[in-house]
Amino acid sequence: MPVDTKRVRGPEESQSPVLFLPPSTQSPAGRSGQGARGNADIRPVFTRCGLVSQAKGSSYLEAGNTKIICSVYGPREIERKDETDMKSGRLVCDFRLAPFSCRKRGAWIQGSEERDLSLALLESMQPGVCLHRYPRSQIEVNVMVLENDGSILAHAVTCASMALADAGIEMYDLVLGCSLRQDGDACLVDPDVLEEKGSWQSGYEENQGRVTLALLPNLGQVSGLQADGEMREDALPAAVRTCIDGCHKMYPVVQQAILRAVKKKAPPPEK
Amino acid sequence: MASVQISEAEKVYIMHGVRDDLRVDGRGCEDYRHMEIETDVVSNTDGSAKVRMGHTDVLVGIKAELRRPRPNVPDEGYLEFFVDCSANATPEFEGRGGEELGVELSNTLYKVFNSHRSLDLRSLCVCPGEHCWVLYVDVLLLQCDGNLFDAMSIAIKAALFNTRIPKVRVLEDEEGGKEIELSDDPYDCLRLRVDNIPCIVTFCVFCLLVHVHQQVGHRHVVDATLQEKACSAASLLVAVTPRGAVTCVRKLGAGSLDPDSIFEMTETGKRVGKALHAPLMELLQKDESLGKKRQKVGFLA
Repeated sequence: MPVDTKRVRGPEESQSPVLFLPPSTQSPAGRSGQGARGNADIRPVFTRCGLVSQAKGSSYLEAGNTKIICSVYGPREIERKDETDMKSGRLVCDFRLAPFSCRKRGAWIQGSEERDLSLALLESMQPGVCLHRYPRSQIEVNVMVLENDGSILAHAVTCASMALADAGIEMYDLVLGCSLRQDGDACLVDPDVLEEKGSWQSGYEENQGRVTLALLPNLGQVSGLQADGEMREDALPAAVRTCIDGCHKMYPVVQQAILRAVKKKAPPPEK
Repeated sequence: MASVQISEAEKVYIMHGVRDDLRVDGRGCEDYRHMEIETDVVSNTDGSAKVRMGHTDVLVGIKAELRRPRPNVPDEGYLEFFVDCSANATPEFEGRGGEELGVELSNTLYKVFNSHRSLDLRSLCVCPGEHCWVLYVDVLLLQCDGNLFDAMSIAIKAALFNTRIPKVRVLEDEEGGKEIELSDDPYDCLRLRVDNIPCIVTFCVFCLLVHVHQQVGHRHVVDATLQEKACSAASLLVAVTPRGAVTCVRKLGAGSLDPDSIFEMTETGKRVGKALHAPLMELLQKDESLGKKRQKVGFLA
């Protein structure tokens, strides 16, 4: 396992102070109450394109406290030439969490969870991009999570497809992501990090699960699906349908952001 | 994954066969290949199993060690998975070539098996906060002919059934220090309850032109070979427990799926999974009951 030898780490027996917090601060507050969002509501999303000047395309997305930035480089010449690359291009996705993004400090070296997320992102984005239009090239998508407040994979998918659109890469459709947490009888869409983790005893309760879905809204095709946890019979199809609805709700916001970026890059002629 | 060169004519042949529910080797769309399972093949491990499904060969070895439990769950043990794609399987896996695939497989296994409801992790605890059993599950791919996940999950279940963890007692001495005492009888061990451990069913999805007026339909097959996988758009992995509950669903591959076919595949997965578990447990129990009279087949069959 690669070990970071450049930084001075604490002694082996040291434990994170997060472990000593009382359990009440670690369980989710619940979504009832005035002004709080309902179970099926996604958090309000702020998103803009075109902020990294060096990248071909880039986008920034904020949902609640989750902050994600994505930049796209390409199409570029491929280093290793395989036979399959002669006919279609390659998409390379890199998903990174900044060390200060989570409650507990993460390592700079890519752990197995980040590799898993990169692969999931790649599988979700590939059906949406017209790779056959870019033979012998590779398109790099780099996603960086600045603050992790839940649903990072789902929002990263949305952010990455906006960055690809901003870069002018040809796509069949935008890819939008939505995630859900099934906690007993409550079906929480777009959970924040406390809701995602659940209370400390939630592992033993019934009907606990997490679903993340990536959808191509106009084609109605699902390009990415990850569901974990033993849920009841009808809970899984219902959760998938709820995620599809959540993606459709996100679509107008994303459309507006892309239109705004396009108008800025190429302003319409004065009448 | 080990890849196979396949011509357009072969692709059309395979897809037409799938459309008519008759695959290249004569199976139906929901049939598994002939499976051979053997447990207790490696004597140095605490539990082991070898599964052979067509030309796919998977060997799982489990070793139990005493470690400190994870800080956020002090009264539970845990499992650590490692998948080794050996160069035996295909020359592509030589050196670090198989590492990427191995990491992908291990990560999926973590998601599928490390759930509280599948295995009672509390039974692996010896002394809360200080000692617990960690099961190191090492999977070795000997031959690769498609459908690795299914073979691995069956092998892991059989190996966990076969695992014998020595019984330990924690003794307190006068100064308050704790000592671990191993029981003298080598056959006095802890067996794991594998009743609720899921098995993975992988579906390969094909896009077919069903009618003359260009309507694209989807058909899915269970237990795809490498050739069938090369023609497919995407795969869906469904982990099913013996009671028919679905614990994990993942989409793999570079294509996209219809939401309706996802629901259909989950239903089929439940059915196929249940049908897979019952004979497996029966076989394992029968094998266990034979005891010393069991014929060991080993690696050369």
